[in-house]
Amino acid sequence: MHISEGILSGPVLISGMAIAAAGTAIGLKKLRNEDIAKTGMLAASFFVASLIHIPIGPAGVHLILSGIVGLLLGWAAFPAILVALTLQATFFQHGGITTLGVNTVIMALPAVVCHYLFAPLIWKNKTISAIGAFGAGSIAIVLNAVIAGLALIYTDEGLFKAAALIMGAHLPVMIIEGIISIFCVAFLKKVQPALLPGFKSINN
Amino acid sequence: MNIISAISEYAIPAKVGIRKQCNAKDTFYKLPFTASLVILLFFFPNIAFAHNVSIFAWEEGDTVYTQSKFSGGKRVKGGTIIVTDPNNNVLLEGKTDDGGLFSFIRPGSGLLKIKLDAGLGHANYWELPALEADVITDSNIELPETINATENKTLTVITPDIQKEIDIAVEKALDKRLKPIMQTLADNQQQGPDLRDILGGLGYILGLMGMAAYFKYRKQNNIIK
Repeated sequence: MHISEGILSGPVLISGMAIAAAGTAIGLKKLRNEDIAKTGMLAASFFVASLIHIPIGPAGVHLILSGIVGLLLGWAAFPAILVALTLQATFFQHGGITTLGVNTVIMALPAVVCHYLFAPLIWKNKTISAIGAFGAGSIAIVLNAVIAGLALIYTDEGLFKAAALIMGAHLPVMIIEGIISIFCVAFLKKVQPALLPGFKSINN
Repeated sequence: MNIISAISEYAIPAKVGIRKQCNAKDTFYKLPFTASLVILLFFFPNIAFAHNVSIFAWEEGDTVYTQSKFSGGKRVKGGTIIVTDPNNNVLLEGKTDDGGLFSFIRPGSGLLKIKLDAGLGHANYWELPALEADVITDSNIELPETINATENKTLTVITPDIQKEIDIAVEKALDKRLKPIMQTLADNQQQGPDLRDILGGLGYILGLMGMAAYFKYRKQNNIIK
Protein backbone atom coordinates (compact mmCIF):
# COMPACT_ATOMS: atom_id res chain seq x y z
CA MET A 1 0.00 0.00 0.00
CA HIS A 2 3.06 2.22 -0.22
CA ILE A 3 2.91 4.25 -3.42
CA SER A 4 6.29 4.60 -5.12
CA GLU A 5 7.83 7.77 -6.47
CA GLY A 6 7.06 8.96 -9.97
CA ILE A 7 3.50 7.69 -10.26
CA LEU A 8 1.36 10.43 -8.80
CA SER A 9 0.90 13.89 -10.25
CA GLY A 10 1.95 17.09 -8.49
CA PRO A 11 -1.48 18.18 -7.20
CA VAL A 12 -2.12 14.75 -5.65
CA LEU A 13 1.28 14.79 -3.96
CA ILE A 14 0.81 18.31 -2.64
CA SER A 15 -2.69 17.76 -1.29
CA GLY A 16 -1.43 14.56 0.34
CA MET A 17 1.33 16.51 2.04
CA ALA A 18 -1.10 19.21 3.18
CA ILE A 19 -3.52 16.72 4.74
CA ALA A 20 -0.65 14.79 6.33
CA ALA A 21 0.78 18.00 7.78
CA ALA A 22 -2.58 19.01 9.21
CA GLY A 23 -3.15 15.56 10.70
CA THR A 24 0.33 15.49 12.19
CA ALA A 25 -0.18 18.94 13.73
CA ILE A 26 -3.45 17.82 15.33
CA GLY A 27 -1.80 14.61 16.51
CA LEU A 28 1.13 16.42 18.13
CA LYS A 29 -1.16 19.01 19.69
CA LYS A 30 -3.33 16.31 21.24
CA LEU A 31 -0.39 14.17 22.32
CA ARG A 32 -0.29 13.96 26.10
CA ASN A 33 3.01 13.50 27.90
CA GLU A 34 2.09 10.06 29.13
CA ASP A 35 1.23 8.93 25.60
CA ILE A 36 4.65 9.65 24.11
CA ALA A 37 6.07 6.23 24.96
CA LYS A 38 2.98 4.48 23.62
CA THR A 39 3.17 6.47 20.39
CA GLY A 40 6.82 5.54 19.97
CA MET A 41 6.15 1.87 20.60
CA LEU A 42 3.37 1.78 18.03
CA ALA A 43 5.48 3.71 15.51
CA ALA A 44 8.15 1.06 15.98
CA SER A 45 5.60 -1.73 15.54
CA PHE A 46 4.26 -0.10 12.38
CA PHE A 47 7.80 0.37 11.08
CA VAL A 48 8.67 -3.30 11.55
CA ALA A 49 5.27 -4.68 10.48
CA SER A 50 5.89 -3.91 6.82
CA LEU A 51 8.72 -6.44 6.90
CA ILE A 52 6.32 -9.23 7.72
CA HIS A 53 5.49 -10.48 4.29
CA ILE A 54 2.43 -12.55 3.48
CA PRO A 55 3.26 -14.50 0.33
CA ILE A 56 -0.30 -14.71 -1.01
CA GLY A 57 -1.50 -13.20 -4.27
CA PRO A 58 0.31 -11.98 -7.38
CA ALA A 59 2.50 -9.37 -5.75
CA GLY A 60 2.54 -10.55 -2.16
CA VAL A 61 1.52 -8.18 0.59
CA HIS A 62 2.75 -7.25 4.03
CA LEU A 63 1.20 -6.40 7.35
CA ILE A 64 0.19 -2.77 7.80
CA LEU A 65 -1.20 -2.56 11.34
CA SER A 66 -2.83 0.81 10.74
CA GLY A 67 -6.00 -0.41 12.48
CA ILE A 68 -4.41 -1.30 15.77
CA VAL A 69 -2.14 1.78 15.67
CA GLY A 70 -5.20 3.98 15.19
CA LEU A 71 -7.25 2.16 17.78
CA LEU A 72 -4.63 2.75 20.47
CA LEU A 73 -3.40 6.19 19.40
CA GLY A 74 -6.25 8.14 17.82
CA TRP A 75 -4.90 11.32 16.22
CA ALA A 76 -1.39 10.51 17.41
CA ALA A 77 -1.42 7.85 14.67
CA PHE A 78 -0.53 10.64 12.21
CA PRO A 79 2.87 11.54 13.69
CA ALA A 80 3.60 7.88 14.51
CA ILE A 81 2.86 6.70 10.97
CA LEU A 82 4.64 9.66 9.38
CA VAL A 83 7.82 8.87 11.31
CA ALA A 84 7.58 5.15 10.55
CA LEU A 85 6.97 5.80 6.84
CA THR A 86 9.90 8.22 6.63
CA LEU A 87 12.16 5.55 8.07
CA GLN A 88 10.69 2.86 5.81
CA ALA A 89 11.31 5.08 2.79
CA THR A 90 14.92 5.80 3.73
CA PHE A 91 15.95 2.41 5.08
CA PHE A 92 13.86 0.02 2.97
CA GLN A 93 13.26 2.12 -0.20
CA HIS A 94 9.67 1.36 0.60
CA GLY A 95 7.40 4.06 -0.77
CA GLY A 96 9.28 7.29 -1.32
CA ILE A 97 10.09 10.70 0.08
CA THR A 98 7.89 12.66 -2.33
CA THR A 99 4.96 10.31 -1.73
CA LEU A 100 5.40 10.49 2.04
CA GLY A 101 2.43 12.80 2.46
CA VAL A 102 0.09 10.71 0.35
CA ASN A 103 1.20 7.47 1.99
CA THR A 104 0.75 8.97 5.45
CA VAL A 105 -2.82 9.98 4.57
CA ILE A 106 -3.52 6.54 3.07
CA MET A 107 -2.55 4.79 6.28
CA ALA A 108 -3.15 7.30 9.07
CA LEU A 109 -6.56 8.66 8.12
CA PRO A 110 -8.23 5.22 8.27
CA ALA A 111 -6.42 4.67 11.57
CA VAL A 112 -8.03 7.77 13.06
CA VAL A 113 -11.44 6.87 11.64
CA CYS A 114 -11.18 3.39 13.16
CA HIS A 115 -10.27 4.90 16.50
CA TYR A 116 -13.51 6.86 16.63
CA LEU A 117 -15.57 3.98 15.21
CA PHE A 118 -14.29 1.13 17.35
CA ALA A 119 -12.60 2.49 20.49
CA PRO A 120 -15.99 2.86 22.30
CA LEU A 121 -16.59 -0.87 21.82
CA ILE A 122 -13.38 -1.97 23.54
CA TRP A 123 -14.70 -1.79 27.11
CA LYS A 124 -18.02 -3.49 26.35
CA ASN A 125 -18.44 -7.21 26.96
CA LYS A 126 -16.06 -9.77 25.55
CA THR A 127 -17.86 -10.47 22.28
CA ILE A 128 -18.47 -6.85 21.38
CA SER A 129 -14.90 -6.00 22.31
CA ALA A 130 -13.60 -8.73 20.01
CA ILE A 131 -15.88 -7.57 17.19
CA GLY A 132 -14.67 -4.00 17.70
CA ALA A 133 -11.03 -5.06 17.62
CA PHE A 134 -11.53 -7.18 14.50
CA GLY A 135 -13.41 -4.31 12.87
CA ALA A 136 -10.63 -1.85 13.63
CA GLY A 137 -7.99 -4.15 12.14
CA SER A 138 -9.90 -5.04 8.99
CA ILE A 139 -11.92 -1.89 8.24
CA ALA A 140 -8.72 0.14 8.39
CA ILE A 141 -7.38 -1.94 5.48
CA VAL A 142 -10.58 -1.39 3.48
CA LEU A 143 -10.31 2.37 4.01
CA ASN A 144 -6.59 2.21 3.14
CA ALA A 145 -7.53 0.66 -0.19
CA VAL A 146 -10.21 3.28 -0.84
CA ILE A 147 -7.88 6.20 -0.16
CA ALA A 148 -5.07 4.57 -2.16
CA GLY A 149 -7.59 4.18 -4.99
CA LEU A 150 -8.43 7.87 -4.70
CA ALA A 151 -4.74 8.75 -4.93
CA LEU A 152 -4.33 6.53 -7.99
CA ILE A 153 -7.43 7.98 -9.67
CA TYR A 154 -5.43 9.67 -12.44
CA THR A 155 -3.28 6.66 -13.27
CA ASP A 156 -4.11 3.94 -15.80
CA GLU A 157 -6.09 1.89 -13.33
CA GLY A 158 -8.54 4.56 -12.18
CA LEU A 159 -10.34 4.77 -8.85
CA PHE A 160 -12.56 1.72 -8.82
CA LYS A 161 -10.22 -0.72 -10.49
CA ALA A 162 -7.28 0.37 -8.33
CA ALA A 163 -9.30 0.22 -5.12
CA ALA A 164 -10.79 -3.14 -6.06
CA LEU A 165 -7.39 -4.59 -6.99
CA ILE A 166 -5.79 -3.33 -3.79
CA MET A 167 -8.66 -4.63 -1.69
CA GLY A 168 -8.52 -8.00 -3.41
CA ALA A 169 -4.79 -8.27 -2.82
CA HIS A 170 -5.20 -7.27 0.81
CA LEU A 171 -8.04 -9.63 1.65
CA PRO A 172 -5.72 -11.98 3.57
CA VAL A 173 -4.18 -9.00 5.35
CA MET A 174 -7.64 -7.79 6.37
CA ILE A 175 -8.44 -11.08 8.05
CA ILE A 176 -5.00 -11.51 9.61
CA GLU A 177 -4.93 -7.98 11.00
CA GLY A 178 -8.44 -8.35 12.35
CA ILE A 179 -7.36 -11.45 14.25
CA ILE A 180 -4.13 -9.79 15.42
CA SER A 181 -6.21 -6.89 16.74
CA ILE A 182 -8.46 -9.24 18.70
CA PHE A 183 -5.47 -10.88 20.37
CA CYS A 184 -3.74 -7.56 20.92
CA VAL A 185 -6.75 -5.98 22.63
CA ALA A 186 -7.44 -9.08 24.74
CA PHE A 187 -3.78 -9.26 25.70
CA LEU A 188 -3.54 -5.59 26.64
CA LYS A 189 -6.77 -5.80 28.65
CA LYS A 190 -5.15 -8.51 30.74
CA VAL A 191 -1.70 -7.10 31.27
CA GLN A 192 -1.66 -3.38 30.49
CA PRO A 193 -5.18 -1.97 30.20
CA ALA A 194 -3.92 1.61 30.56
CA LEU A 195 -2.62 1.40 26.97
CA LEU A 196 -6.14 1.00 25.62
CA PRO A 197 -8.24 4.04 24.78
CA GLY A 198 -10.90 5.07 27.29
CA PHE A 199 -9.26 3.29 30.20
CA LYS A 200 -10.53 4.49 33.57
CA SER A 201 -8.30 3.50 36.42
CA ILE A 202 -9.88 2.68 39.76
CA ASN A 203 -7.85 5.35 41.54
CA ASN A 204 -9.37 8.22 39.60
CA MET B 1 0.31 -6.81 16.91
CA ASN B 2 2.18 -4.56 19.22
CA ILE B 3 5.46 -6.41 18.93
CA ILE B 4 7.48 -4.18 21.19
CA SER B 5 5.04 -4.17 24.06
CA ALA B 6 4.47 -7.87 23.61
CA ILE B 7 8.18 -8.49 23.90
CA SER B 8 8.59 -6.21 26.86
CA GLU B 9 5.59 -7.62 28.65
CA TYR B 10 6.79 -11.10 28.08
CA ALA B 11 10.42 -10.45 28.81
CA ILE B 12 9.81 -8.41 31.96
CA PRO B 13 7.17 -10.27 33.92
CA ALA B 14 8.52 -8.93 37.20
CA LYS B 15 6.01 -6.09 37.47
CA VAL B 16 4.19 -6.76 40.69
CA GLY B 17 0.75 -5.99 39.39
CA ILE B 18 1.14 -8.31 36.47
CA ARG B 19 2.66 -11.11 38.44
CA LYS B 20 -0.30 -11.13 40.79
CA GLN B 21 -2.66 -11.66 37.89
CA CYS B 22 -0.56 -14.39 36.33
CA ASN B 23 -2.68 -17.45 35.96
CA ALA B 24 -3.60 -20.03 33.40
CA LYS B 25 -5.60 -17.52 31.37
CA ASP B 26 -2.64 -15.20 31.04
CA THR B 27 -0.48 -18.00 29.79
CA PHE B 28 -3.17 -18.75 27.26
CA TYR B 29 -3.03 -15.22 25.92
CA LYS B 30 0.75 -15.09 25.95
CA LEU B 31 1.16 -18.33 24.07
CA PRO B 32 0.02 -17.17 20.61
CA PHE B 33 2.08 -14.02 20.98
CA THR B 34 5.26 -15.83 21.83
CA ALA B 35 4.62 -18.44 19.19
CA SER B 36 3.97 -15.90 16.44
CA LEU B 37 6.97 -13.81 17.46
CA VAL B 38 9.25 -16.81 17.40
CA ILE B 39 7.90 -17.95 14.06
CA LEU B 40 8.07 -14.54 12.44
CA LEU B 41 11.46 -13.54 13.71
CA PHE B 42 13.37 -16.80 13.64
CA PHE B 43 11.83 -19.19 11.17
CA PHE B 44 11.05 -16.82 8.33
CA PRO B 45 13.84 -14.27 8.26
CA ASN B 46 14.02 -14.70 4.49
CA ILE B 47 10.45 -13.76 3.74
CA ALA B 48 10.63 -10.78 6.05
CA PHE B 49 11.40 -8.21 3.41
CA ALA B 50 9.88 -4.86 2.67
CA HIS B 51 7.66 -4.69 -0.30
CA ASN B 52 8.95 -2.67 -3.18
CA VAL B 53 9.89 -3.41 -6.76
CA SER B 54 13.25 -3.25 -8.41
CA ILE B 55 14.38 -3.43 -12.00
CA PHE B 56 17.84 -4.31 -13.22
CA ALA B 57 18.99 -4.02 -16.81
CA TRP B 58 22.11 -5.17 -18.60
CA GLU B 59 23.36 -5.37 -22.15
CA GLU B 60 24.58 -8.28 -24.21
CA GLY B 61 25.62 -7.28 -27.67
CA ASP B 62 22.84 -5.11 -29.03
CA THR B 63 20.15 -6.59 -26.81
CA VAL B 64 19.11 -5.11 -23.48
CA TYR B 65 17.85 -7.56 -20.88
CA THR B 66 15.81 -6.50 -17.88
CA GLN B 67 14.79 -8.35 -14.79
CA SER B 68 12.02 -7.05 -12.52
CA LYS B 69 11.12 -8.34 -9.12
CA PHE B 70 9.48 -7.47 -5.86
CA SER B 71 11.75 -7.43 -2.88
CA GLY B 72 11.64 -10.88 -1.40
CA GLY B 73 12.47 -12.23 -4.84
CA LYS B 74 8.99 -12.62 -6.31
CA ARG B 75 9.14 -11.85 -10.04
CA VAL B 76 6.95 -9.17 -11.55
CA LYS B 77 4.61 -10.90 -13.98
CA GLY B 78 3.04 -8.77 -16.67
CA GLY B 79 4.56 -5.53 -15.41
CA THR B 80 4.73 -2.69 -17.92
CA ILE B 81 8.19 -1.68 -19.10
CA ILE B 82 8.52 1.71 -20.75
CA VAL B 83 11.85 2.68 -22.31
CA THR B 84 12.46 6.38 -22.77
CA ASP B 85 15.35 8.63 -23.72
CA PRO B 86 16.60 11.26 -21.26
CA ASN B 87 13.91 13.68 -22.48
CA ASN B 88 11.15 11.24 -21.56
CA ASN B 89 10.25 10.44 -25.16
CA VAL B 90 8.89 6.92 -25.20
CA LEU B 91 11.02 4.67 -27.39
CA LEU B 92 9.29 1.36 -26.78
CA GLU B 93 7.00 -0.47 -24.40
CA GLY B 94 6.55 -4.05 -23.35
CA LYS B 95 5.38 -6.44 -20.68
CA THR B 96 7.47 -8.68 -18.46
CA ASP B 97 7.04 -12.43 -18.80
CA ASP B 98 6.37 -14.92 -16.00
CA GLY B 99 10.01 -14.80 -14.96
CA GLY B 100 9.93 -11.01 -14.68
CA LEU B 101 12.14 -10.76 -17.78
CA PHE B 102 11.85 -8.47 -20.76
CA SER B 103 14.42 -7.90 -23.47
CA PHE B 104 14.60 -5.60 -26.46
CA ILE B 105 17.00 -4.48 -29.17
CA ARG B 106 18.75 -1.32 -28.05
CA PRO B 107 17.08 1.67 -29.71
CA GLY B 108 19.98 4.00 -30.47
CA SER B 109 23.15 4.37 -28.48
CA GLY B 110 22.06 7.14 -26.10
CA LEU B 111 21.21 6.95 -22.42
CA LEU B 112 18.10 4.86 -21.79
CA LYS B 113 15.71 5.21 -18.90
CA ILE B 114 13.92 1.91 -18.36
CA LYS B 115 10.82 2.35 -16.24
CA LEU B 116 8.94 -0.45 -14.60
CA ASP B 117 5.31 -0.04 -13.55
CA ALA B 118 4.21 -3.08 -11.60
CA GLY B 119 0.76 -1.62 -11.02
CA LEU B 120 -0.98 -0.31 -7.91
CA GLY B 121 1.61 2.28 -7.10
CA HIS B 122 4.68 0.08 -7.45
CA ALA B 123 7.26 1.55 -9.78
CA ASN B 124 10.97 1.87 -10.24
CA TYR B 125 13.44 2.61 -13.00
CA TRP B 126 16.96 1.77 -14.17
CA GLU B 127 19.23 4.02 -16.16
CA LEU B 128 21.35 2.42 -18.83
CA PRO B 129 24.30 4.65 -19.71
CA ALA B 130 24.97 5.70 -23.29
CA LEU B 131 27.25 3.48 -25.33
CA GLU B 132 30.80 4.68 -25.82
CA ALA B 133 31.48 5.66 -29.39
CA ASP B 134 34.05 2.95 -30.12
CA VAL B 135 32.06 0.02 -28.82
CA ILE B 136 30.69 -2.04 -31.63
CA THR B 137 27.00 -2.69 -31.29
CA ASP B 138 26.46 -4.44 -34.56
CA SER B 139 27.05 -8.11 -33.80
CA ASN B 140 25.35 -9.18 -37.00
CA ILE B 141 28.59 -8.91 -38.93
CA GLU B 142 29.64 -12.42 -39.84
CA LEU B 143 33.08 -13.49 -38.78
CA PRO B 144 34.91 -14.35 -42.01
CA GLU B 145 36.48 -17.75 -42.56
CA THR B 146 39.40 -17.10 -40.29
CA ILE B 147 41.98 -19.41 -41.82
CA ASN B 148 41.79 -17.94 -45.29
CA ALA B 149 41.57 -14.43 -43.99
CA THR B 150 44.61 -14.59 -41.76
CA GLU B 151 46.73 -16.45 -44.35
CA ASN B 152 46.31 -13.65 -46.82
CA LYS B 153 47.35 -10.96 -44.40
CA THR B 154 50.64 -10.40 -42.67
CA LEU B 155 50.40 -10.60 -38.92
CA THR B 156 52.45 -7.50 -38.31
CA VAL B 157 50.01 -5.16 -40.03
CA ILE B 158 46.66 -4.82 -38.35
CA THR B 159 44.28 -3.50 -40.92
CA PRO B 160 41.00 -1.89 -39.82
CA ASP B 161 39.32 -5.03 -41.08
CA ILE B 162 41.18 -7.31 -38.71
CA GLN B 163 40.77 -4.86 -35.89
CA LYS B 164 37.03 -5.04 -36.40
CA GLU B 165 37.07 -8.81 -36.37
CA ILE B 166 39.08 -8.87 -33.18
CA ASP B 167 36.70 -6.40 -31.57
CA ILE B 168 33.70 -8.49 -32.49
CA ALA B 169 35.32 -11.68 -31.24
CA VAL B 170 36.25 -10.05 -27.96
CA GLU B 171 32.75 -8.62 -27.56
CA LYS B 172 31.21 -12.03 -28.11
CA ALA B 173 33.59 -13.79 -25.75
CA LEU B 174 33.06 -11.13 -23.08
CA ASP B 175 29.28 -11.32 -23.41
CA LYS B 176 29.46 -15.08 -22.95
CA ARG B 177 31.71 -14.78 -19.91
CA LEU B 178 29.78 -11.93 -18.35
CA LYS B 179 26.36 -13.47 -18.76
CA PRO B 180 26.42 -15.52 -15.53
CA ILE B 181 27.93 -12.58 -13.65
CA MET B 182 25.23 -10.22 -14.88
CA GLN B 183 22.61 -12.79 -13.93
CA THR B 184 24.04 -13.01 -10.42
CA LEU B 185 24.15 -9.23 -10.20
CA ALA B 186 20.51 -9.07 -11.26
CA ASP B 187 19.57 -11.65 -8.67
CA ASN B 188 21.44 -9.83 -5.94
CA GLN B 189 19.97 -6.42 -6.61
CA GLN B 190 17.90 -5.11 -3.72
CA GLN B 191 18.05 -8.04 -1.37
CA GLY B 192 15.86 -6.16 1.04
CA PRO B 193 16.71 -4.57 4.35
CA ASP B 194 19.05 -6.27 6.77
CA LEU B 195 19.12 -6.21 10.54
CA ARG B 196 21.18 -3.02 10.54
CA ASP B 197 18.42 -1.14 8.70
CA ILE B 198 15.75 -2.41 11.05
CA LEU B 199 17.66 -1.64 14.24
CA GLY B 200 18.66 1.72 12.79
CA GLY B 201 15.03 2.61 12.22
CA LEU B 202 14.03 1.52 15.71
CA GLY B 203 16.89 3.61 17.10
CA TYR B 204 15.58 6.70 15.31
CA ILE B 205 12.11 6.14 16.74
CA LEU B 206 13.57 5.81 20.21
CA GLY B 207 15.51 9.05 19.73
CA LEU B 208 12.44 10.91 18.48
CA MET B 209 10.49 9.63 21.49
CA GLY B 210 13.19 11.00 23.75
CA MET B 211 13.10 14.37 21.98
CA ALA B 212 9.32 14.57 22.18
CA ALA B 213 9.39 13.70 25.88
CA TYR B 214 12.11 16.29 26.52
CA PHE B 215 10.23 19.13 24.86
CA LYS B 216 6.86 18.18 26.35
CA TYR B 217 8.21 17.97 29.87
CA ARG B 218 10.28 21.13 29.51
CA LYS B 219 7.12 22.98 28.52
CA GLN B 220 5.29 21.52 31.51
CA ASN B 221 8.11 22.49 33.89
CA ASN B 222 8.13 26.05 32.54
CA ILE B 223 4.43 26.32 33.23
CA ILE B 224 4.93 25.10 36.79
CA LYS B 225 7.72 27.63 37.39
